Amino acid sequence: MTTLTKPDDGATPPTAPGADAFLSVRDLYVRFSTEDGVVKAVDGLSFDLERGRTLGIVGESGSGKSVTNLTVLGLHDPRTTEVRGEIRLDGRELTGAPERTLETLRGNTMAMIFQDPLTALSPYYTVGRQIAEPFRKHTGASKREARSRAVEMLTKVGIPNPALRVDDYPHQFSGGMRQRAMIAMALVCNPDLLIADEPTTALDVTVQAQILDLLKDLQQEFGSAIILITHDLGVVANTADDLLVMYAGRAVERGTVREVLRAPRHPYTWGLLGSMPRLSSDVDAPLNPIPGTPPSLLAPPPGCPFHPRCAFTGEVDGARCHTERPVLPERRGGACHLTDERKQTLFTEQIKPRLGRG
Amino acid sequence: MLRFLARRTLGAIVILLLISAITFFLFFALPAEPARLACGKNCDPTSLAIINKNLGLDQPVPVQYAKFMVGIFVGRDFAVGHCDAPCFGYSFVSQEPVWGTIVDRFPTTLSLAVGGAAVFLVFGVGIGMIAAWRRGTWVDKFVSSLSLLGASMQIYFVGVLCLAWFVSGLGIMEQPAYHSVTDNPAKWFSGMLLPWLVLSLIFMANYSRMTRSQMVEQLQEDHVRTARAKGLSGRTVFFRYAWRGAIAPIVTIFGIDLGSLFGGAMVTEYTFTLHGIGRLAVESVQLTDLPMLMGVMLVSAAAIVVFNILVDAAYAFIDPRVRLA
Amino acid sequence: MTTMTLNHRRRARTFTVALAAGALALAGCSSGGGSDPKESKEPEMTSQGITLGTPADSTGPAKELPGAQKGGTVTVLQRDAFEHLDPGQIYVSDELIMQTLYNRTLTNYRIDDKTGKVKLVGDLATDTGKSSDGGRTWTYTLKDGLKFEDGSPITSKDVRHAVERLYAPFQTNGPTYLQQWLSGDGQKYRKALPDGPYKGKHLPKTVLDTPDDKTVIFHFDQPRAEVPFAVAMPNIGAVPPEKDTKEKYDKAPVASGPYKIKDFKPGKGVQFVRNPHWDPRTDSIRHQYVDTYDVSFGHQWVDSTRRLQAAKGDDRNGMTFTNAVDPSQISTVLKDKEAMARSMTETQPYVDVVSINTDRVKDKKVREAIAWAFPSGQYLQQFGGPKAGEIGGGLVGPTLKGYNTSFDPFQKRKYPGGNAKKARELLKAAGEDGYELVYGYGNGDTHQDAAVVVERALERAGFTVQKKEIDQSTYYTQIGKVDNKYDLYRSSWGADWPSASTVVPPLYDGKNVYNDSANYSHLDVPWINKEIARVAKVSDLNRATAEWMKLSEKIFTKEVPAVPTFYNRLFTLWGPGLGGVKWNAVYGAVDPTAVFVK
Repeated sequence: MTTLTKPDDGATPPTAPGADAFLSVRDLYVRFSTEDGVVKAVDGLSFDLERGRTLGIVGESGSGKSVTNLTVLGLHDPRTTEVRGEIRLDGRELTGAPERTLETLRGNTMAMIFQDPLTALSPYYTVGRQIAEPFRKHTGASKREARSRAVEMLTKVGIPNPALRVDDYPHQFSGGMRQRAMIAMALVCNPDLLIADEPTTALDVTVQAQILDLLKDLQQEFGSAIILITHDLGVVANTADDLLVMYAGRAVERGTVREVLRAPRHPYTWGLLGSMPRLSSDVDAPLNPIPGTPPSLLAPPPGCPFHPRCAFTGEVDGARCHTERPVLPERRGGACHLTDERKQTLFTEQIKPRLGRG
Repeated sequence: MLRFLARRTLGAIVILLLISAITFFLFFALPAEPARLACGKNCDPTSLAIINKNLGLDQPVPVQYAKFMVGIFVGRDFAVGHCDAPCFGYSFVSQEPVWGTIVDRFPTTLSLAVGGAAVFLVFGVGIGMIAAWRRGTWVDKFVSSLSLLGASMQIYFVGVLCLAWFVSGLGIMEQPAYHSVTDNPAKWFSGMLLPWLVLSLIFMANYSRMTRSQMVEQLQEDHVRTARAKGLSGRTVFFRYAWRGAIAPIVTIFGIDLGSLFGGAMVTEYTFTLHGIGRLAVESVQLTDLPMLMGVMLVSAAAIVVFNILVDAAYAFIDPRVRLA
Repeated sequence: MTTMTLNHRRRARTFTVALAAGALALAGCSSGGGSDPKESKEPEMTSQGITLGTPADSTGPAKELPGAQKGGTVTVLQRDAFEHLDPGQIYVSDELIMQTLYNRTLTNYRIDDKTGKVKLVGDLATDTGKSSDGGRTWTYTLKDGLKFEDGSPITSKDVRHAVERLYAPFQTNGPTYLQQWLSGDGQKYRKALPDGPYKGKHLPKTVLDTPDDKTVIFHFDQPRAEVPFAVAMPNIGAVPPEKDTKEKYDKAPVASGPYKIKDFKPGKGVQFVRNPHWDPRTDSIRHQYVDTYDVSFGHQWVDSTRRLQAAKGDDRNGMTFTNAVDPSQISTVLKDKEAMARSMTETQPYVDVVSINTDRVKDKKVREAIAWAFPSGQYLQQFGGPKAGEIGGGLVGPTLKGYNTSFDPFQKRKYPGGNAKKARELLKAAGEDGYELVYGYGNGDTHQDAAVVVERALERAGFTVQKKEIDQSTYYTQIGKVDNKYDLYRSSWGADWPSASTVVPPLYDGKNVYNDSANYSHLDVPWINKEIARVAKVSDLNRATAEWMKLSEKIFTKEVPAVPTFYNRLFTLWGPGLGGVKWNAVYGAVDPTAVFVK
């Protein structure tokens, strides 16, 4: 049996440390009922985000990163989803908030950029209309005002000829332009929180860089908080301030980007780094994918959910990895039974050389 | 758009010509003998020959076909007089001009088709929307099983039952009959009401099921999620975004259904003793009435072909990604 | 007076009937309307002997009905559309009964309001005709005061024109008795006047003479005893030459009877309204009680039964000429006492037989075995049982003069399921055990069900049966081919007037073996041919009818060209708002001429 140790047990002071944060997620549990059983998509997640900062969330598909963010926006299907825990945005509790309240926040205070701009934009309405729509809804602007706002936004995201392209349909845009339009749509109401879910995955590399730069620029201009969801550590390295590594619906490591990439404290993070190609590395150096497959969220493994794929369970006394869920420290650290010292040693001696870094 | 119409119209004409030729020549492959019907009781070969001559059936089939087709475009002379284009000849049975008969029967079929279609479209799609809106709830389940029940019904069964209950039994509905809408709209309405309802019952089930599944599918689309992420209300998302995406397949089926309904709703017309194109089609086959059969076949085929073109043209309006050429 | 054509149409449309019938099986419950003793009060048709009326019988007006009053509209529900209004082109029963409303003929049938007894009387003519010259010459005198619907008087010229126009090539549907007797057999008569009267030519006075405006004289080359019946056919009436529009006359004929055509919508319906120029004093047959007869077509039996039984709205004053209560609704109607009080079950002149193709089944013993084995009673049950017909013993039904109730050579009444034992013996004696029969039948529900019954019974008797379905719409064309590949197939025939003379020659004269002929048995036997020629010359009407009857029986027992199955019956309803509804046994339809709205 797993001894469930809540990450905040004892460690959390009476006033939550994230109380003053702009976005604070506490003990978030998200469960879907499906025909096969209950999927524990997010399993006790906590994190904070300040204004003007960017939080990168990385993890394999199915690790719960997208679900977390959909839950923040309240876009989950309330009929099949059970949400527990706290989501506070600017001090306001979002879990259990009425749909009407969420509607006034979505697209306004918090906005989202989706992964595939081809399917995420409606093929039936012009780009301009889709950008203008939330603006009208949230600001009560007239049609004309909303349209000029759409043109303005298109200009801002670097669409050439915006006054003309505003009347185009998404299919008349190229992939990169569509993603820019998507960003324009997300930013049209100057949101305080922007969630970008793999915003560059569907794009080619040069466009990727442009889009990421654009996001950075816009953040500087508006001071928004950004959550950048990705499975690509490279993207995070260049864009994010803080990093959260998720595995099986849980955060397994957190810290600043620098901290985590320099001295990762979880074997899973090591794996992620190992499976990432680098320009600086020797072309002949083999990539090291993490062995095994992500766990089923219907029945996640007891103890540390990563233990079936972990090469270091033998380093831990007894069978703790199999029975006891490791705790994630509050600000910096990894949810792992290995001691930080041991991890430091292992990383320096065994992992780092394989990454081909100097 | 113009090029599209020109190309499709040309195609339609080719299809209709093919249908006409196939129908005409197949008719003569039947062991049917149209002259037999006009030959009275004491029929003998001599009198059959006279009738065949009267009907023009004594000529080689290709010649008959050629004359028939020419008649459609330029008119034709018969023993009883000239028949103006479009001339489909005279019925072997009633000796009435085929075109006149079709024109006479068409309002019935039109009323039945348009009224029935309006009912099944509004209610079918409406019920489907409700089921999709409340998907997963008892409302959805109730409406869905009701649909299934409707789909498994047969018009002649439901129709006869409704006649027995509502017309003959309770007397709360009028005996179905066609009255001209221009003469007396109220009578037209009450006379067609039951046929509409029964006809639409069968279609309605189909439409509600299709609408529901389309809507549920659309509601899971990424762009619908985007719309919600923009803060649009559930209602706006449902009706503006999801519904917009669900229209296309519904329009396709609706076009095909309406097209074939314009060619006559045979079973409904028989059940409710309506004199429409469907009945005309069945009778012309049973009575081996070649000119009438040709006329009805061509009109029905034309209706279906035209509606197919209309559906394709409608796509240009429904889906901006579609460009007609 | 059914015709082939009627049955052709009737069967052709079984498809649509079946379509509706399937649905009503539910409403009709299960008993099928066969065995209930309460319904056994079927008409006991004895040969009632249609008599020739006197001049007094022919003199109008017709006797008023008690309680009858003028006015109102009668709704008539019919299944098949009337195709012809031109009296020259009418030959099927629903049209025959309809034309009595607007068309008058030289003679006609007067049906007693109470007893239903039929008398042939003068209609346009003052009597049923005077014969002279040993039956070779027949003279008719027109009544005074006869007028067409436009008020112009009806004269002998109009009668002559009505007869002569039957020779024109467009006249192909109607009866041909009189033309053939006047001008030659088969279609030869047409040569006497190839264009009809339309190019100024007339029949010579030696054939058809009109010495004055009131007199019409027919001259024949041999004695013709049955002229009074032949001139009761709808085509021997009056057509004004100047109003004759030839083919178009079929849509708008000029009325001579109490009603005229107001609105004919082919395929949909026809309305009859009062003809103000009809004088009741000239007519001993018809009344003019009702203002309007509103006939609509396309009513399947299921539909007309439902409507007439419920009698809602206009259907209170509803009736039908020939629509039967649908077999699926018989048991429901039988339980409805109120509806049964306004119903009738009457015998029609149609006789159903199953013809044996004598070209293929040459051995008479085998044919006899078939006749014994055939399950006529069970077969009839498939068509609706006693409400649809009465098991038949022979070729000539109860409505005909001289009908012999006891004639039942194959004991069909005793063995409704067939006498398999007797059949088996006959088959064995012929050395044909296991004889293979091809049974052809229409692909409608009823016929398919009946085929199973037939197959079982014949196989019980030692036959091997091969069933072959024939498309309904081409059924008669297929079995009408002389070289068809079937041994057994159903056919039906009705007498044109109540004498076997309109049954035996068309069915069994050897000269009628050709495609589409009614001689479906392909019987060409010298003694029969000779006998037909002889009886045709008998000049005494009563003797002739007796001789025809005898001949029909002899053909059946000696040659076995067909299996008798049943004499048709019509079980029908009318609305409670009507009075004066009676049965026309000659046409096998409900007679509208005395109907009034209560």
